[in-house]
Amino acid sequence: MSDGPLIVQSDKTLLLEVDHERADACRKAIAPFAELERAPEHVHTYRVTPLALWNARAAGHDAEQVIDALIGYSRYPVPHALLVDIAETMARYGRLRLEKDPVNGLVLTSIDRAVLEEVLRSKKIQPMLGERIGDDSVVVHPSDRGNVKQALLKLGWPAEDLAGYVDGEHHSIKLLEEGWSLRPYQRDAADAFWNGGSGVVVLPCGAGKTIVGAAAMAHAQATTLIMVTNTVSAHQWKTELLKRTSLTEDEIGEYSGTKKEIRPVTIATYQVMTTRRKGVYSHLELFDARDWGLIVYDEVHLLPAPIFRMTADLQARRRVGLTATLVREDGREGDVFSLIGPKRYDAPWKEMENQGWIAPADCVEVRVTLTDEERLAYAMAESEERYRFCATTPSKTQVTEALVRRHLGEQVLVIGQYIDQLDELGEHLNAPVIKGSTRIKERERLYQAFRDKEIQVLVVSKVANFSIDLPEAAIAIQVSGTFGSRQEEAQRLGRVLRPKADGGGARFYTVVSRDTVDQEFAAHRQRFLAEQGYAYQIIDADDVLGGV
Amino acid sequence: MATMEFTEWIRGRTDEQLRALVSARPELITPVPAHLEGLASRAASPSAIGRVLDRLDRFTLAVVETLAVREDPVSKDELRDLVGAALDPGEDPEPALSSALERLADLALVYGPDDALELGPGVRKVLDDPAGLGPRAADAFRHHPPEQLEEMADAVAPSTPGSGRERLAAALAEPAELVESVSPAARAALDQLVWGPPTGRVPNARREVHLASARSPIEELLARGLLAATGEESVTLPREVGLHLRGGRVHRDLLAVPPQLRGAARDRELADRTAAGQAFSFVRSVEELCERWSIEPPGVLRTGGLGVRDLKRTAVELDLPEWVAALVVEVAHAAGLIAAGGGVDGEWLPTSGYDLWRVRGTADRWVTLAVTWLHMDRVPGLVGERDDRDRPLNALHTDLRRSSAPSVRAATLGVLAAAPGLAPDRDSVLARLAWEQPRRRGPLREQLTDFALREAEQVGVTGLGALSGHGRALIEGGDAAEVLAPLLPEPVDHVLLQADLTAVAPGPLTSELNRWMTLTADVESKGGATVYRFSEGSIRRALDAGHGGEELVAMLARHSATPVPQALSYLVTDVARRHGRIRVGTASAYIRCDDPALLDQITADRRSAALRLRRLAPTVIASRSPRAALVDSLRAMGYAPVAESLDGDVIISQLESRRTESVAPARVVASPNGLDPEVATAAVRALRAGDAAHLSRREPVDAPDGQVPRSPATATISALQEAIKQGVRVWIGYLDSQGNATSRILEPARMEGGYLTAYDETRAAVHRFALHRITGVAGL
Repeated sequence: MSDGPLIVQSDKTLLLEVDHERADACRKAIAPFAELERAPEHVHTYRVTPLALWNARAAGHDAEQVIDALIGYSRYPVPHALLVDIAETMARYGRLRLEKDPVNGLVLTSIDRAVLEEVLRSKKIQPMLGERIGDDSVVVHPSDRGNVKQALLKLGWPAEDLAGYVDGEHHSIKLLEEGWSLRPYQRDAADAFWNGGSGVVVLPCGAGKTIVGAAAMAHAQATTLIMVTNTVSAHQWKTELLKRTSLTEDEIGEYSGTKKEIRPVTIATYQVMTTRRKGVYSHLELFDARDWGLIVYDEVHLLPAPIFRMTADLQARRRVGLTATLVREDGREGDVFSLIGPKRYDAPWKEMENQGWIAPADCVEVRVTLTDEERLAYAMAESEERYRFCATTPSKTQVTEALVRRHLGEQVLVIGQYIDQLDELGEHLNAPVIKGSTRIKERERLYQAFRDKEIQVLVVSKVANFSIDLPEAAIAIQVSGTFGSRQEEAQRLGRVLRPKADGGGARFYTVVSRDTVDQEFAAHRQRFLAEQGYAYQIIDADDVLGGV
Repeated sequence: MATMEFTEWIRGRTDEQLRALVSARPELITPVPAHLEGLASRAASPSAIGRVLDRLDRFTLAVVETLAVREDPVSKDELRDLVGAALDPGEDPEPALSSALERLADLALVYGPDDALELGPGVRKVLDDPAGLGPRAADAFRHHPPEQLEEMADAVAPSTPGSGRERLAAALAEPAELVESVSPAARAALDQLVWGPPTGRVPNARREVHLASARSPIEELLARGLLAATGEESVTLPREVGLHLRGGRVHRDLLAVPPQLRGAARDRELADRTAAGQAFSFVRSVEELCERWSIEPPGVLRTGGLGVRDLKRTAVELDLPEWVAALVVEVAHAAGLIAAGGGVDGEWLPTSGYDLWRVRGTADRWVTLAVTWLHMDRVPGLVGERDDRDRPLNALHTDLRRSSAPSVRAATLGVLAAAPGLAPDRDSVLARLAWEQPRRRGPLREQLTDFALREAEQVGVTGLGALSGHGRALIEGGDAAEVLAPLLPEPVDHVLLQADLTAVAPGPLTSELNRWMTLTADVESKGGATVYRFSEGSIRRALDAGHGGEELVAMLARHSATPVPQALSYLVTDVARRHGRIRVGTASAYIRCDDPALLDQITADRRSAALRLRRLAPTVIASRSPRAALVDSLRAMGYAPVAESLDGDVIISQLESRRTESVAPARVVASPNGLDPEVATAAVRALRAGDAAHLSRREPVDAPDGQVPRSPATATISALQEAIKQGVRVWIGYLDSQGNATSRILEPARMEGGYLTAYDETRAAVHRFALHRITGVAGL
């Protein structure tokens, strides 16, 4: 019996014992083809999915390497059926290729005629294909490049896209490494993307994804369209690009609800792109406004469905997706794979923390016991009102105040879902509140004041979930959230993960009402981070109130 | 006569040779015949010959066919030439031929000296179209009218003497000239039939044809007698013509040794480990199946068997493809671990045999399952296919039986055993089997072989397609359990608890811990390790089963290799804190309820009068009725009380694991390893004895002259008793029914009710003799 660190399960999960002496070597060997699913303290779980195998194939690994890695590190015999399945799955990638043909333009070719025949019989794909040329290739309408890839993935025959990219309009962009330098993993991520052509870079919040984006632009040396989640985030991208690159104010445009600038580098929000007037997307022309050489998608896991459809038409342009997690609550990971591209770079959160690139964080769940009257009221609440009720209970306000008092002198963010609750908290804590109705200018003023430590406590709604750079926030207190959303939890923790000037750690409190749905949702929200190795410590509200 | 010669030949075999015969053809001695003549005639019966021919390999069968083609005894030298012609040039047929002849003699299919080898009686008749050759001309034209034969003879051999039949036969015996004379088209038609099958279909085969007016190649051949009509629509090539066209050869090509197996070479150790891993998970699947079915047994279909939906559900629960689930179910059933039982409609339940099986070591448990699989006549692979009437075949249904299944499995594994460290591909396995048992080819056999190959992998007999060490021990009668045991993962007695509320058991858990973990947490992933997830529901389940919150935490701490994460202990205490906070008492003599109004209601209910209730407090009622009756009555009244013990603990109501009666495991139809040597020896001894008796009794013997001395009645009886005891013959005087005094030689068998039953050698028959008429007894 060999004593490997890896246990291969019949459901295609791989269990890696992290304390094993060969664990590191094993992790390196399996990382290319297995998706890290959970990374709690002792045993990490990886999953071998078709997407992960195709990602590995796209990165140049073959089935033999995968099987050798499994057999070499496995403690128990690896089920034969699983090995066969892996070999078969991997062999499916690349049987079909999208290529450029000097005569016919874009063609779908196959090295396996039977596969091509099977695909041609599919009703979904037929309309996107043109004339058959020869036995092994068929013309594809260039506009359907993305749709074909999407449909082929669904059929289980992912096509390798070798049709190349347009260079786009040249525009000189340089990184200005003055007083800072590109971190090794950021460089690796940008290189991995560039070598792969298109794809997704997965980095934890606070690991400097913007800079990876900038590095990608420096590679492309071309006009760039950047898609971000909201206006504030757009402004931050702009600030960051001005700071880190040779781009000047005039070269960066903002395309949002208020401004419609189209410049060599244009930052657009998802919201404006998905705005419809009389049933049609009125801003689609942005994609054709320039000959973009690169498109950057920030927070890919939030990419709205219409953008997917638009992206399907942009397959000839280089695309880079940036995200903290590929987990999509809507399960559309396959679309990300076929439309943006395979995963090109991935780094586990805990590893980044160990290397000091992100601040170490303590996660604390504070359990509040409802008063008897509150419990009675909770029990009588309508089921759709229940979460709101227990999430906004007055007991929480007290505890939040106590927590803020405890961290007097530190930069504290209070994050919540319900505006009434936030307003009330703002009043009690004597702190400004940023919510959807706060004007952009005002928001930015408040953020700046917070960064400058003029304000120590800031109460924010979910508008601050993403891409807001508040490096000095050390404490986050979450009082309520969007039900059980795992990625929201990760995003919110990300707010405090930027490395601190004093090198100190961060703390993330979640205030939860005991014995209510609030606790259930909290447990669900915590799953992603617990799986990333963050151990939640649980304390009782009385300990906080007692001033311990 | 051939039969007599054959019987004498059998009689001349040594005991050892006879043992070899009955061991190889056990059907000859079920039941044991009275004497060797009986054995010889049974050996010549078509069914017995058919069965033994089925077991011959391609080459040995070819030897039989070659002999069958020839009418007369053939010398070994001639046989060697005939067989050798079909082998690769340069290959010496001698060693293979000698061993084939030896084997055929052992099987009593061929007898006679080397210079005149002859087929056993009846063998020719069983072989239709030996080697793809048609009937002899004499037989082929037997039913043709003489005038037609006359005309054909005139066409092929004018001006020869004799009847049409004789002339035609003579012409066909040397058909070279005749064949040369046909048109090219007709020659092409002949060539089609040369290497068999020798028959073709043509419409209106019996039409009247004349050489002069032949309109087609077939008509031309029919007119010449080169084809014979054997039916309204069929024609056949006479054997003499076929042999001539084959250039004197009987077979086109033969292999003296089995064809080589092709396939991927496997590292033996890796294959063994893989097979062991699979063996382990197979045992675990069976165990899990029985555990699940003991709590939620599926129903027995009215036609017997397991419903399609139940099988699907089982497959999902066991996390197996459906065909593997069917295999698990079938093997568990054949091993007697599950059976139909319980109630009128019937349910599939684990048997008490399962409880015995469960406590044994994993390797032993596997051997039980693997042996069952090897020998069962059921074919799980057929589940989901449709029968002749287009109804789907269900698992556990009687229609899944195929009597050839065990022998196909044995043969398939035998092929794998011949190639250690090789994972032969399917086609070469089939080719090998076709060589080994050419008469058993067919689509069913191919299907069964496919099933056997894929099932062997699932059961863990093979690993990566190659026969494993323990699989080899299994089929060769070694101690498979001992070979397998060191390859199985050691049970572990700890789990790794993690902050995300999962626990990982890094190997198979000890039985007790396994049950406990399955109760306390939900299984999330299975394989070499098991991943469990704790949730509110799973903790509550453990609490419901009677474990306390503190006990759970202590148990976790004891069995965890790492500290218990705070989140987990919080979860347990949280659930425990809320668990059972509201409860209705269980005591024999009280009811308590936090809602006085409910108690008001109970007391006010007229039906409760019989319970003699007394209100102790607003929330407590006492009763003098026994607790069980109280609970029952309250339930009857529409309340939902829960029982509580005197100490205030909830009485545990665990899910009941149910069992049915054991049934005998499926009967092994025929041992693929052949007959037990002891049985063979005993059978031969009995045959020899019977034969000796048979031979010595063939002729009546004359009684000695003179009168038997008269002896007193008592002396007569004791002398006869003595003779029965000793088994010796006696000479008696007897008054027959007419009162004539006769003299007989008897072999007394038994004496009862005033009569002696004995074999009368003077009349060569068994008779009953009235004791009072025996006038005297004398020894011989």
